[in-house]
Amino acid sequence: MSAITLYTGAMLQGAVITLELTAGATVVSLIAGAAGAVGRLYGPRTLKAFIFGYVETIRGLPAILQLFILYFGLTQFGIDVPAYWAAFIWLCLYGTGYAIEIFRAGLQGIPEGQHEATAALGLTRFEAMRRVIIPQAWVAMLPALTNFVVLELKNTTLVYFIGVQDIMFHARLGVSNSGQPLAIYGIAALIYIVLNGTISRVGGILEKRAAIAS
Amino acid sequence: MSSDVVVELDGVRKCFGPRVIFDDVSLSVHRSEVVAVIGPSGAGKSTLIRCINQLNTFEKGVIRVLGHEVYGTEEGRPPLRRDDLRRLRTEIGMVFQTFNLFPHLSVMKNVMLAPQRVKGRSEAEAAAQAQELLEMIGLSHRKDAYPRQLSGGEQQRVAICRALAMEPEVMLFDEPTSMLDPELVGEVLAAIRRLAVDGMTMILVTHEMMFAKEIADTVVVVADGGIAEMGPAKEVLSTPKTERARSFLERVLLHTGGDTGPQAAASEGGFDAASGGFDDPTLSWSREVDEKGLR
Ligand SMILES: Nc1ncnc2c1ncn2[C@@H]1O[C@H](COP(=O)(O)OP(=O)(O)OP(=O)(O)O)[C@@H](O)[C@H]1O
Ligand SMILES: [Mg+2]
Repeated sequence: MSAITLYTGAMLQGAVITLELTAGATVVSLIAGAAGAVGRLYGPRTLKAFIFGYVETIRGLPAILQLFILYFGLTQFGIDVPAYWAAFIWLCLYGTGYAIEIFRAGLQGIPEGQHEATAALGLTRFEAMRRVIIPQAWVAMLPALTNFVVLELKNTTLVYFIGVQDIMFHARLGVSNSGQPLAIYGIAALIYIVLNGTISRVGGILEKRAAIAS
Repeated sequence: MSSDVVVELDGVRKCFGPRVIFDDVSLSVHRSEVVAVIGPSGAGKSTLIRCINQLNTFEKGVIRVLGHEVYGTEEGRPPLRRDDLRRLRTEIGMVFQTFNLFPHLSVMKNVMLAPQRVKGRSEAEAAAQAQELLEMIGLSHRKDAYPRQLSGGEQQRVAICRALAMEPEVMLFDEPTSMLDPELVGEVLAAIRRLAVDGMTMILVTHEMMFAKEIADTVVVVADGGIAEMGPAKEVLSTPKTERARSFLERVLLHTGGDTGPQAAASEGGFDAASGGFDDPTLSWSREVDEKGLR
């Protein structure tokens, strides 16, 4: 009993790390993803090609391989990134790859006539994006973005492989020390359900608000 | 180029890939002139007016709009700088066949957006102007509605307000009523008629021959890769000189003409205003609808 209390406390501490990584990487990925999608769609040819290649690489390689290349591979060059930051950087790079695709699909879904109307009125590309295209794409993208955050949070479990002390790290530790896998993994599952349930909930509220506003 | 020419096309050629849509199109539009562009589907009417505000580029020739000169891509001149292109577009209002209102913005915000973001007007100024325009067009009671809550006719009238809010020197209309239910056409035509009366320079692509005849000073028939015929509206529509214009107008009339129109015209082998090729009953019918549309 006390082992379970002990490791539940540790897992909750791990949850703070998990949330930090998720929140930070989500913010970075969404900003970089939006910029990347705009570049992918409207940028000069070389930029388009670069972003295309980037997205394909992120999508094509197994997540764990990317993390290992980043963490272990760089040490070969004498670059020693602390595990926490390696994890964070990887989550940002990985998330950005997927966010670019979500934003690209969202932006492409806006009818050509909307772009033409902004052009005919003399709006700059930037103002058109900001006032007309992105606000509309945003509404259409909300479900995909909610899903994105949930996946990003689940991806954080992989960072346990490089020793970052997230929920999963403490769960593994707790199981091997207490020998009660069902109870401890069950509690870990509960924590993930609560976290992801909250994200879905927030996404749902945003969707409803967006639907009313448009 | 005389000083009151607002839009001038000189030897303009437009291709899509290897396909030449039209070539050697020249046209001058003077201040307060209303030009109706008619012609068969696919002839390039939309493309022609879209070249004027550079929604389409063109290959050869030059287009002048007030002080701005745009050369075809093959003329070896540098393309318009981005800011110059925007400035050119602020002088030109455009109304689309499909309205293209911004669905996430209210009617008011649709009209206010460009004045605020392009002309740097304050919110209060932009709102006052939008209010005035919407009142003029009979839609101020719908100012807080969203586009999807409006009928097609109302949407198109808002789109006209949105374009007018930029105080353009010339308005382009691309079949503004062809997506509308017949009973909604009149209210939009009434709005356009009002602009004509106020002296707005306009280029209007339309299939509404009656309306073209009523408000246009000049009619341009686009067909077979160029301007088939161009001249005073009443002349071109009643007594077209070229075979191409004549055959097009005959076909249009067969579809839209009254009981006597087409047959009478066909039997006389031409179009005479007096013979009823374009009978006035239709004209007055459309006026009646218009008045309802504008209260
Ligand atoms: N973006 C494009 N790419 C390739 N071809 C195009 C494009 N836009 C138009 N066309 C072609 O150019 C021709 C002229 O088109 P346009 O839309 O200007 O005709 P229109 O006279 O306005 O016809 P309608 O009365 O049906 O509107 C058509 O054959 C059309 O298929
Ligand atoms: Mg057209």
